[in-house]
Amino acid sequence: MAHDHKTETSAVDSVDASRRTLLLGLGVAAGGALASSLPVKAETGDGKQVTDAPESHIADVKQRVPFYGVHQAGIVTPRPANGMIVSFDVIAETPADFDLMLRKLTERIVFLTQGGIPPVLDRKLPPSDSGILGPEILPDNLTITVGLGNSMFETRPWLNPLKPRCLQRMTQFKNDALDAELCHGDLSLQFCANTADTNIHALRDILKNLPEYLVPRWKQEGNVPTVLPEPDGTVHSARNFLGFRDGSANPHSGDDALMDEIVWIGGKDHDEHEWAVGGTYQAVRIIRNFVERWDRTPLGEQERIIGRRKMSGAPMDAAKESDTPDYAKDPDGKVTRLDAHIRLANPRTAETRKNLILRRPFNYSNGVTKNGQLDQGLLFIAYQSDLEKGFIAVQTRLDGEPLEEYIKPIGGGYFFVLPGAREAGDYLGRKLAEAAAAGPPTRS
Amino acid sequence: MKRHFMAATALAALLCYTGAAYAEEDSKLVEPLAAYKSFIADHTEKLLDNTSKFTEAVKAGDIAKAKALYAPTRMDYETIEPIAELFSDLDHTIDARADDFEKKEQDPKFSGFHRIEHGLWSENSTKGLEAYADQLLADVKDLNHRIENLTFPPETVVGGAAALMEEVAATKISGEEDRYSHTDLWDFKANFDGSKKIYDLVKPLIEKDNADFVKKVDGDFKVVDETLAKYKTADGYELYDKLSEADRKVLAAKVNALATELSTLRGKLGLN
Repeated sequence: MAHDHKTETSAVDSVDASRRTLLLGLGVAAGGALASSLPVKAETGDGKQVTDAPESHIADVKQRVPFYGVHQAGIVTPRPANGMIVSFDVIAETPADFDLMLRKLTERIVFLTQGGIPPVLDRKLPPSDSGILGPEILPDNLTITVGLGNSMFETRPWLNPLKPRCLQRMTQFKNDALDAELCHGDLSLQFCANTADTNIHALRDILKNLPEYLVPRWKQEGNVPTVLPEPDGTVHSARNFLGFRDGSANPHSGDDALMDEIVWIGGKDHDEHEWAVGGTYQAVRIIRNFVERWDRTPLGEQERIIGRRKMSGAPMDAAKESDTPDYAKDPDGKVTRLDAHIRLANPRTAETRKNLILRRPFNYSNGVTKNGQLDQGLLFIAYQSDLEKGFIAVQTRLDGEPLEEYIKPIGGGYFFVLPGAREAGDYLGRKLAEAAAAGPPTRS
Repeated sequence: MKRHFMAATALAALLCYTGAAYAEEDSKLVEPLAAYKSFIADHTEKLLDNTSKFTEAVKAGDIAKAKALYAPTRMDYETIEPIAELFSDLDHTIDARADDFEKKEQDPKFSGFHRIEHGLWSENSTKGLEAYADQLLADVKDLNHRIENLTFPPETVVGGAAALMEEVAATKISGEEDRYSHTDLWDFKANFDGSKKIYDLVKPLIEKDNADFVKKVDGDFKVVDETLAKYKTADGYELYDKLSEADRKVLAAKVNALATELSTLRGKLGLN
């Protein structure tokens, strides 16, 4: 549906054409008698039909994010409109199996993110590809990011000694109501693309190609609304389901030095294993928003709870979203409350600089709860080079915030995102697999 | 219109096999199909025999005996499922679960093995089950009769190997089939054996050209066997809740791997 640029066979077209003419009541030979009894279908002026696919734009579907590099893509990559996190149990009981899985997974990711034509097989066999995107896979800005969870290392003695220093099982914070079925996992995949179908196509491809290694545990899709640039070219942050701009004070992901400081393992002082250099920690949280209650809350109170103006995203003491609040001038919280969300999350002092995280969330909208309320919220995703100093420290500061009346974390997990694969021939997790196969490691 | 006519003819051809039609194309399959038909006949006969004893125990109010016979009786049904499912009306009355009905366990249309299972385990009673027992026996007799008269379409038989794995993968691996008695491991064993039987019968036809494939599938079935064997007891299997998380994941992964592999069986045999 997203971008089927190559039509399949003329036979398919002619069936569609005859069906259309039948529906339009114009009739074809044998269908002529039926025509007069059918109501003439309403048409828009430009001849479009209800079932015509929405159009894509060639520039969008051709957008390609390079796969190879020091780091995996999908972290500092500008966030596209659609995302998905899928958590898996991994079946790989030896270093050799683990290595094979990583190679196969990398192979699929390269194909899906760089694009190509899936092989056409004999009709008597199941097709090699689901066909959702048509006969040619165009990249559509897809990134697939691989992370390993605590349980991956805990249950395998040949991986245990290589576990990243901060990696741990996500424990409950004060406001959490964690659903075991929506938590943890041996491996996470983050799919991001311009369209949801590209993500779904990629997930189905990976499941079909690695059925004996990966068993899905939970998944959450999400999206962010697209934003019209201002006349001066400024693009504001996308809004979350509380109606507020989300990501206003996010560290600039285009600032390499800043990303090295906040997000990436490696470079100078790090006390992680060598295999982990170039990776990062990923904190995923499925956070339900009680939107009905929020929508019944006075605007002034919403803004005091968050600590920003709703429509502009500006701090309480400034004019623009990009302005920085001056907390030093407001020690008693008369302008921005001391327990406002943004102030607790980031007090902006010299000491709290080390707690900065890179946020890259999506909004989700599932179904309706047993109580007849909407199940919507935030698929929160954050990246940091130190899980304790990053997400865990920030969330601990947020414990007890007034916003908690309106939100409820129900799932998620902590994962360590593998370093990038450097060039063709390399694969994700190679250094970890080699270290695991080599036996008892020496800490480097 | 022309397209619809052609489609209809193809459909008719699929449904109305004559002996000559497939003997010509698939002469190499004649022997495996005959062997499979005989295998099914054996298991259907056993099913009828066991169901008779099971329903007798239910009607006699012998709860302990009925419970002991429940899982072993079902095994023959689970083994012949690719063929039994062709008769969807009977499959529904014999093997449907409470989920399939609006009023769930209370729904008057909920019948068959699982309705009786519900009475025996959730209520620990055979009260009110007499009619369901009668119906189950009548349905199994009917099934036996229909199977005796069935010409087995090759695609259905060969495709049945994958179909069984798909069913386990989609609706059983989580332990939801025998939710009152937790005797799912008996069902798994029967499903895997049923699938393996079909594969074993056609294996000689494909192993020359598909050595790696055969080696892989053999290996996967072996892992499943070894995993289930860990849970064997004197008269059957442990209850589903004894299945460790790790083993459940292994079975889930293998079921999906086998479903993927066996989905190519028809193609490898030149069947549509």
